[in-house]
Amino acid sequence: MTTNDEGAASPQQDVESALAALTTSAPVDYGLRVLRHVGISVERYDRYVRLETGAGGLYVACSPHAVTGAMMETMVVSTDMFEEIHWSRTRRTAIRSDTALPGLRPAVRTGRTKSLPVDLSSVDEEHRAVLEAVRTVPRGQLRPISWVAREAGVGHEPGIVTRALAANPATLLVPCHRITAEHGSPCDVSYPSGTGRALRAAEHIDMERLAGLSREGAVFLGSRTTRIYCHPTCAHARRITLRHQQPFSDASAARRAGYRACRSCRPLAV
Amino acid sequence: MDDMAEQVTARLAADLDDGFTELVRVHATAVRAFLLRVTGSATEADDLGQDTFLRAYTALQGYSPQRRRELRPRAWLMTIAANVWRNHVRSSVRRPVSAAPVEEVCQVWPDQRPGPDERAGTALDRNRLVSALAELPENPRVAVVLRHIVGLNYQEIAEVQGCPVGTVKAQVSRGVGSLRQLMATEDPPPREVSK
Repeated sequence: MTTNDEGAASPQQDVESALAALTTSAPVDYGLRVLRHVGISVERYDRYVRLETGAGGLYVACSPHAVTGAMMETMVVSTDMFEEIHWSRTRRTAIRSDTALPGLRPAVRTGRTKSLPVDLSSVDEEHRAVLEAVRTVPRGQLRPISWVAREAGVGHEPGIVTRALAANPATLLVPCHRITAEHGSPCDVSYPSGTGRALRAAEHIDMERLAGLSREGAVFLGSRTTRIYCHPTCAHARRITLRHQQPFSDASAARRAGYRACRSCRPLAV
Repeated sequence: MDDMAEQVTARLAADLDDGFTELVRVHATAVRAFLLRVTGSATEADDLGQDTFLRAYTALQGYSPQRRRELRPRAWLMTIAANVWRNHVRSSVRRPVSAAPVEEVCQVWPDQRPGPDERAGTALDRNRLVSALAELPENPRVAVVLRHIVGLNYQEIAEVQGCPVGTVKAQVSRGVGSLRQLMATEDPPPREVSK
């Protein structure tokens, strides 16, 4: 057998670089096995896994009881970076693992993350209220900042909601990609806009249609048959047939026309 | 890197268990890589790596916070790993379990990088290098692995080996020299499956 001499020339010359190429990564859960062998309590560190989502890989760190942090793979350049960011946020070491918190995998697969335990104790109280409100936005739907502020009961100071979104420790599991500015453009503050686009595309949110609606000045959609108005992405609004759709530029116009607010998406009544 | 190392020792000094998780996070891969290349066996590397950290933990329990803060974790862990390995070699000479290297098993170990297509081109060279490495005597082997695979500097290797820096340099250069010879003269090493 002859040595193949593409790239790596004759072995005499580059024993040293060949040696450098012998560095191997350990099995995925090696660190975890070491910690178990030594007998460190599981309460002292977080485990994290990489899950596949419609928008790409997602790193999720968990304590034994709850999710403590999550980031899309596109937000970091390496697992080391995720581990370091996780430590600076939570002061807990994240160790790579291959077993996820029970219920995490199905929650990510189906997008039903509302009942997943997410530990938001690293965020201060006001921001936590905002993030809890964000968690109630259903998959595939969008809500404006003012809606979040009302649901969270944090008053009208405009910066609070965006600051809370920027502090979001669990991307996707606290779905801050479903929050938009008042005129409907997405409010991606904690990650590059490409990540936000991918997250929304994975939930089949048709941003072009919504942009078209907002150009026409339609913030809400009403149904002429039921006389109810909704956010355009609300499950009920999506069922209105084209000829019964009645766009409104704000809530008071809808009320004047004799429409009431939808009770599931609860648009802001002015 | 220095920054990170400082962080590890500061955390070790403040809270042993918390600092230890960080120590494992940062250094487990390097310790295992070192052991994998000196033993040539993935399963042994796993076991000895776990023992290394267990010993490290036990030792740290007896250290004062001051001493933990001044630790240089990488070289210190490699020292323990090298000792663990030497002890293992001694005791397995006395109690041989299986004479065959487990490198065959290691070849199909699922978590090893690089991936199959990249390996295909270099697998032959890699295999030869791995088995050539296994033929080096203990001290040069440890020195070569620490220098070129783990990437310690000569000063740190001297600490690990407990000998002067000049000796380490000689060990490394002679080790690499004999690797070259082995790679040049040797036919693809006999890798018949035992059983």
